Amino acid sequence: MATNKLQHFIVIDDSKLDCFIAEKVIKNTGKCESVTSFLQAQEALEFIKQNSLNSLDPIIVLVDIQMPIMNGFEFVEAFEKLPVNTRKNYHIYVISSSINDNDLTKIPQYPSVIQFINKPLTSNNLSALLAKDK
Amino acid sequence: MEKKIKVLYIDDEQNNLVGFKATFRFDYTVLVAATTEVARQLLADNPDIRIILCDQRMPDQTGVQFFEEIRFKYPEPIRMLITGYTDIESVIDAINRGNIYRYIKKPWTDTDIQSAIEEGNKFYLTNNLLALKNKELQSAYDELGKFAYSVTHDMRGPLLSVSGAISIAENCTDINEIKEILGMMDSAIKKLDEFITNVHDYYSMKRGQLVFEEINFNKTLNDCVALFRIAGTMEHISFLSSVKQDVPFFSDEVTIKIVLTNLLSNAVKYQRKSVTDKFVDVNIEVNQTNAIIFVKDNGIGIHDDHINNIFDMFYRATSEEAGSGFGLYNVKDALSKLGGTIEVSSKLNEGTSFKVTIPQKANGNK
Repeated sequence: MATNKLQHFIVIDDSKLDCFIAEKVIKNTGKCESVTSFLQAQEALEFIKQNSLNSLDPIIVLVDIQMPIMNGFEFVEAFEKLPVNTRKNYHIYVISSSINDNDLTKIPQYPSVIQFINKPLTSNNLSALLAKDK
Repeated sequence: MEKKIKVLYIDDEQNNLVGFKATFRFDYTVLVAATTEVARQLLADNPDIRIILCDQRMPDQTGVQFFEEIRFKYPEPIRMLITGYTDIESVIDAINRGNIYRYIKKPWTDTDIQSAIEEGNKFYLTNNLLALKNKELQSAYDELGKFAYSVTHDMRGPLLSVSGAISIAENCTDINEIKEILGMMDSAIKKLDEFITNVHDYYSMKRGQLVFEEINFNKTLNDCVALFRIAGTMEHISFLSSVKQDVPFFSDEVTIKIVLTNLLSNAVKYQRKSVTDKFVDVNIEVNQTNAIIFVKDNGIGIHDDHINNIFDMFYRATSEEAGSGFGLYNVKDALSKLGGTIEVSSKLNEGTSFKVTIPQKANGNK
């Protein structure tokens, strides 16, 4: 589809290094309009509520699972309670180092989560994701 | 001195109750009930009843019916049926429906009752021990589950981060950026190392025997503080300490060090970056019975919502800094081994204070 269109990205991960990696990988795709990282999920949620990006195009959200205070699942649950208009442009991907069955089976139960991605994020799996994302 | 065994005797004949109480009141704590109604109330009020003796023939309810009814609500007390009737039906009923431990024939002798109570008590204790062991096993199993879960995150996480960082560094030509990446890789590795140290602490406490020896708190504290000197200097944190120890104190030094290092580590880690007079203050006071340790800081503090959970395994109350959610759990575990306690008071953005009390192990060599 719109292969050359630049996209907005949101990264939510309590590890600074993982945010840094994600930012780098995202920027290297050449398809990045902006990337905003959050170490805390609540802040990302607030950011989305305020519609800070004000974008009509899909915004890709990469969220980690295990985070203190508000973990990835809690974030998704809170996100799914937002009004449709607020959340319709966000495409959520869960990204984690988890190989725990409970986590992995839980992911498909969230309608708003498009896919699970293994850490670390690499340009290969990000490109594959962007190719499929519509 | 061991506490007396608590026995409940139910019989509709007042004389029997009086006689029973008179005979056994010295050896046991005897509760009596003339109706099953009263007996139920006594069971509700006395969860420590170990033995129930009940007459079979009573106007409102048979003994078997009573046992059948209460055994699910009060499964712990040992049930014994007393009856003058020896019909096989009621014996079968008693065993199958009332699930009784003993069947005592009327008229009973004191020794019948006494030996039945003693045997029943042994059975009660064995059952209780089994239940306790099962509970311990369950909690060990739950911990193992949590542990396995965290291994994927806390051990695999930093490794994957480093691996991701390496592939970025490989394609990077800017030397300063590579240095920045190396710095971040270094902290990921340190975090992993800290986690492994915590795991080690955890298992050395679970498995290890305590060794009680004389503790010189000045030395113990210095050993622990030394671990944080460099970090403290780099972050401009001043260490204050005072130790008041005039009496010898016996306890397990390794376990005390686990408590101190974890509390110090947190105090150093959870500082507010903006504050210029960062401090960690340790006060130790030793008296004949206790050692009381205060560890105070003027760091980020702990929010009220989280303060009740901070001692839970893998609980993290902040996303600031690299915590594993293991430290305070280990502290609490260590203190419970020493019979000690910990209290915390904290104000968000002002600081946190922990008060640890460790009892003196009166007799030095065990």
